[in-house]
Amino acid sequence: MVMKRRTAIIAALSIAAAVVLILWKPTVLIYGLQAAGLYAAVAIPMGLVLGIVHIVNLAHGEFMMVAAYAAYFGCKALGMDPLLAIIPTAIVTAVFGWVIFQLTIRRALKAPELNQLILTFGLAIAFTQTINLIFTSQTYKIPLDYVSASMDIGDLTFGVWSFVFVAVAIIFAYGVKFFLTKTMTGKAAVAVGQNPRGAAIVGIDVYRTYGLVFALALALVGAMGALFLTKSAIFPSVGSPFTMKSFCLIAMAGIGNIPGILGASVLLGVSENFLRAFRPTRDWAEIVFFVLIIAVILARSLKGRKS
Amino acid sequence: MLKIQNLDCGYGRMKVIDAVNFEVGAESVGLFGPNGAGKSTLIAAVMGMVRPWKGSIELDGKRIEGAETHVIARMGVALVPQERELFPGMSVQDNLILGAAYIPHAKDHTSDQMEQVFSLFPILKERRTQYAGTMSGGQQRMLAIGRALMSKPRLLILDEPSLGLQPSIVAEVFEVLKALKSTVSILVTEQNVRESLRAIDRGYVLENGRIVLEDSAEGLKTNPHVIKSYLGL
Repeated sequence: MVMKRRTAIIAALSIAAAVVLILWKPTVLIYGLQAAGLYAAVAIPMGLVLGIVHIVNLAHGEFMMVAAYAAYFGCKALGMDPLLAIIPTAIVTAVFGWVIFQLTIRRALKAPELNQLILTFGLAIAFTQTINLIFTSQTYKIPLDYVSASMDIGDLTFGVWSFVFVAVAIIFAYGVKFFLTKTMTGKAAVAVGQNPRGAAIVGIDVYRTYGLVFALALALVGAMGALFLTKSAIFPSVGSPFTMKSFCLIAMAGIGNIPGILGASVLLGVSENFLRAFRPTRDWAEIVFFVLIIAVILARSLKGRKS
Repeated sequence: MLKIQNLDCGYGRMKVIDAVNFEVGAESVGLFGPNGAGKSTLIAAVMGMVRPWKGSIELDGKRIEGAETHVIARMGVALVPQERELFPGMSVQDNLILGAAYIPHAKDHTSDQMEQVFSLFPILKERRTQYAGTMSGGQQRMLAIGRALMSKPRLLILDEPSLGLQPSIVAEVFEVLKALKSTVSILVTEQNVRESLRAIDRGYVLENGRIVLEDSAEGLKTNPHVIKSYLGL
């Protein structure tokens, strides 16, 4: 009952905020949602890895950056649209992720958490610097017509392409949820995430499951890499803000709460765009996620102390 | 079924199991001993959770020492661990389904097995949609036994099944073990020697990592050492 009342209050407040924003600053809501879609779609695979393999992958955004480079040069070589590259990039990235997992992360699974963080942080630096060495810090972009598609409502004009990220985020969230709750492989993955010893004694190959989940997450990251390329220029450090923001969103949603990432992303995306809408606060947008994560952790620890 | 010969194992430099010979045939075998004697370590070695230093572990003539846990589970060895090791955030039903899903000889008989488990433990049927982690200790123990039975095991290993349970549930658990005796080989470690002597055919006493005694249930009941140290008479 308490949960239901709280959910109702949150829903009512969100609807009120949305109505106010639509009447006052509609672009904040529109671009906020678009940004939220992108953040959520990138964060969901990281949440999947954290929830089941229990690894904080600090190279998460960098994997997406590598995937975007692969998609870029694949598209250039074949004269292909990045949208057609989504599935091939997903497959290539999944294989790449699986190999990296077997070579490095797998060996650190029993190590202390700090060692795991250092390992994935090292991977992030290695990816960024390798791309930097090969392709320099120059930016690459594929110009596409459909990306600048816009829509008019009254005297309001806004770009609509980025709504594709919202769609992808919803597909990812419910696709992952479906996989984890309705398929036997997914249930086994959840079992491994909840109790690896228990999973092994019922005959589940725990390390194989970790590798599979990591590869699956990297397939989603790869798809996002190709999709990201439609909209943005890429450069070696383009992925790192996504690592931090994804981690922030997962912490806000709570580990294991994949659909919760959607809500957290809307909060982050709309807040950022709200600050961007006013000249004096424009530059603060980039630190919103720090403020949010501090607020959430503070609220959780206060609640924890009360109960 | 299970044959352990001259087994040494331990953690780091500390030897916990010392030259143990041990056998389970088509029977129900008890493994007794005080806290820290090495009972759980011996079971961990059988399940591939601890790597033996020396000696052999055979399952139906196949060497399994050093094999991975999931491989041993798929060969038909089911464990009911002391800590239960359930999937707390999954329903009772899903816990049971996962007990069979990855065992080649059991996965096609999931619904039959589940009916059988429900008839042994009706409370699990009542609670089948409840999260495992929200149940009482006794119910979780029953679920752990049920999950193990889902795999149609040839060897069922129970590590301290009565630990921390109220007497009525202990009696229920041992009734179930007695009922299962005819269909599956059982290895059970216990500190509650009195109750378990009723459910077993034969037993070993393990002290300081060594087998100090081996006898039939009747023989153990009248053995002066067992009476003094374990039955408290």
